[in-house]
Amino acid sequence: MGLRKKKAKKLAIIFIALWLTGCAPFTENNIIEEIAPITFLSLSKGDEGKIKISTIIPPLSKEEKSVMSQEVSLLKEGVREFNLNFYQEIKSGQMRMLVINEELGKEGIMSIINVLLTDPDISLRIYLVIVKGNFEEYLETQLDKQENLDYSFYRMLKHYEEKNQGELTVVNLHEFKNLLYTRYSDPYLPVFKIENDAVSYEGTALFQNDKLVETITSFNDRIFQLLNNDHYLKILPIPELEVVLGHVRSNTKVDIDTSLSTMTYTVNIDSRIEEYRGEKQLFDPKDLEDLKKDIQSNLEKQTQELVKKMQELNVDPLQLGIHTLKPFSKPMDEKKWIELFEKMDIKIDYQFNIEPLTDSNAKS
Amino acid sequence: MEALQLYNKNETYNGLYVMLMVNRLQMLYFFLIMPRFLIHPYMIWVILAVGLLSQLNLLLLSKWFSTGFSSKGYNGFVQLFGKKIVRILSFIGLFFILLKLFVVMLGFSEIVQIFMFPSTDSNWIIFFILLSCWYVAGKGVEKTIRFVVISFLCTFWMFFFFAFFFLPPIAQLSDLYPIIPMEWNRDSWKGIFLILSSFSGPEFLVFLGPWFKTNNKTFRYLSYGNALTVIEYVFLYIASLLYFGSNYLSKNQFPIVNMARYFQNPIIERIDMVMVSLELFNIVFAVSIFLLMFYAASKIAFGKMEKPSSRGGFLYSVFLIFIGMILVNEWIWKSGEKQVILLNLQILAGSLSYLVVPIVIIMIMKIKGVNKHGTAKEKG
Repeated sequence: MGLRKKKAKKLAIIFIALWLTGCAPFTENNIIEEIAPITFLSLSKGDEGKIKISTIIPPLSKEEKSVMSQEVSLLKEGVREFNLNFYQEIKSGQMRMLVINEELGKEGIMSIINVLLTDPDISLRIYLVIVKGNFEEYLETQLDKQENLDYSFYRMLKHYEEKNQGELTVVNLHEFKNLLYTRYSDPYLPVFKIENDAVSYEGTALFQNDKLVETITSFNDRIFQLLNNDHYLKILPIPELEVVLGHVRSNTKVDIDTSLSTMTYTVNIDSRIEEYRGEKQLFDPKDLEDLKKDIQSNLEKQTQELVKKMQELNVDPLQLGIHTLKPFSKPMDEKKWIELFEKMDIKIDYQFNIEPLTDSNAKS
Repeated sequence: MEALQLYNKNETYNGLYVMLMVNRLQMLYFFLIMPRFLIHPYMIWVILAVGLLSQLNLLLLSKWFSTGFSSKGYNGFVQLFGKKIVRILSFIGLFFILLKLFVVMLGFSEIVQIFMFPSTDSNWIIFFILLSCWYVAGKGVEKTIRFVVISFLCTFWMFFFFAFFFLPPIAQLSDLYPIIPMEWNRDSWKGIFLILSSFSGPEFLVFLGPWFKTNNKTFRYLSYGNALTVIEYVFLYIASLLYFGSNYLSKNQFPIVNMARYFQNPIIERIDMVMVSLELFNIVFAVSIFLLMFYAASKIAFGKMEKPSSRGGFLYSVFLIFIGMILVNEWIWKSGEKQVILLNLQILAGSLSYLVVPIVIIMIMKIKGVNKHGTAKEKG
């Protein structure tokens, strides 16, 4: 037994010596008082091809917060610059959002995405957001009024992501990456506009590969939510017909003919009329039928235009291309698909199932 | 130096242990990187086919277990092959054991380094893992075999988590198209051997015969273990296809661990870290078994079988392996291109050992005309 004890002592001495002399193998220091786990990074275009990178520091403690910006040519360099200018060390393990300026998005964000993907500290669930306007300026003006600005922004995105609420597009890093790297599909991101000290949701940015090419807004964005993103909308106002559809659920079906020249895009919709301020008497079955037809043709027209635009821009966020995949045949070359897609005749067909619930004109 | 009871035999373990060992030895390192090499959806069928082949192998192995030779251990092999050939074979075996040890250990310590301690030198991680393996192995074969239960309980449930990827919006059936092979190239062959190599491992059980209570039910338990592995492989592979899609799969170094990073939990944010740490139990178990085999094989190879095993001798062999690992890590593993060579070597060696070991044993048994009770008929 004595021999063993001696050995244990020797071993202990060796270990203590290693640790005390600084030969400890773990070099990272994560003492909570000394680190600043940032919650977001905002990227915008700087001068001469540089990236302007900003965040709020300190992100956690109750000290006074400030916006810190650096112009750098590489993303990680920015984090280092922050460290040199602040007493706490920046850590990216708690990052929740990446805010990308529209201008930067137009130049392509592939390299940024790859940086995020290769860092094991950065979660694959961080939200990617495009902003129009100067986000840094907005932060600076708003920070005094609203201390937890970044956190509330994150909570909002999380809220709409969780149950596919169908109000706004919410895309995280993993989803973006998959759309970027999968054949026959292009990614999309939500766009927020900064106007008069407020951030408001504007629509969805469509990307061609990694470059932002178009932002679809208002009614087109609603249709996009219906067709692709959530297949659900809480309300869908159609101002031209003075009608509001509520709880719109959609079910889409894509048929491509064997010659690959025409595609029929069928959208089945279950919904109910929530508000109507037009002339028709909805108690009258004929009028109701007319209204249904009006809604149908209106939506078909709008969707047709939206899809046409996608074809012109050569973007496929709806992943129409994957419908050419068959279990027992060779997948088509991506270039060939793009050629086909540009020329394809896409027919939109809406099938409605509307329940009339309210009628504001009924008793007038 | 006090004598060490490394290879004592006081009790034998039943079929359940055989099953767990087959399964855990097949779920070591390759399954973590497998999707990156398989890429195409039709490889699902290949996994199933190779799983069947592995089943045949296990049938042969069970034949060996049902003879009396297997329970005699070293003496059984000597009776079958003769002393000289056993020495040569164990010398060759050393190479296979070392290669497997290196790939499993270096591969896993790389994962630990990348995902858990990015700023730590991977040599330290190797040191710590090997230290715990040395401790476990130092308790002897019996305790190490027993350790498989802990390793199994720590790790087997993990694949259920991946069911999350089978649900929409991540799951799209089109990710699995085309489901039949449209072209066949060199990479597809490599895929087959990779799968075969990941199924390898149970062939090492033939050397643990004395510790198993073998009977005619052994094959059943071997098959259960193998079947569980097939299910896990297919499940994880389909999940990775759904999650990444074929196109991105080849670009990802550690697909399964990266998928685990997508799990979320309000209490533990980095579930992947917990999973990697628990997976370590499995690595420690397997490496300990291989350490014991390495020590025994080197004793046979150098003709020191008569000498009792000593603590010093065992420590010396573990130390040699440690030095070897550090050198291989520095010279080969850390540079990506050379790492591929070692991986390819293990893919070949694993497939080879898994195919050849059972066949050779059965052939020799046939030639010598062994009957069920482990006595060779006299020639002529």
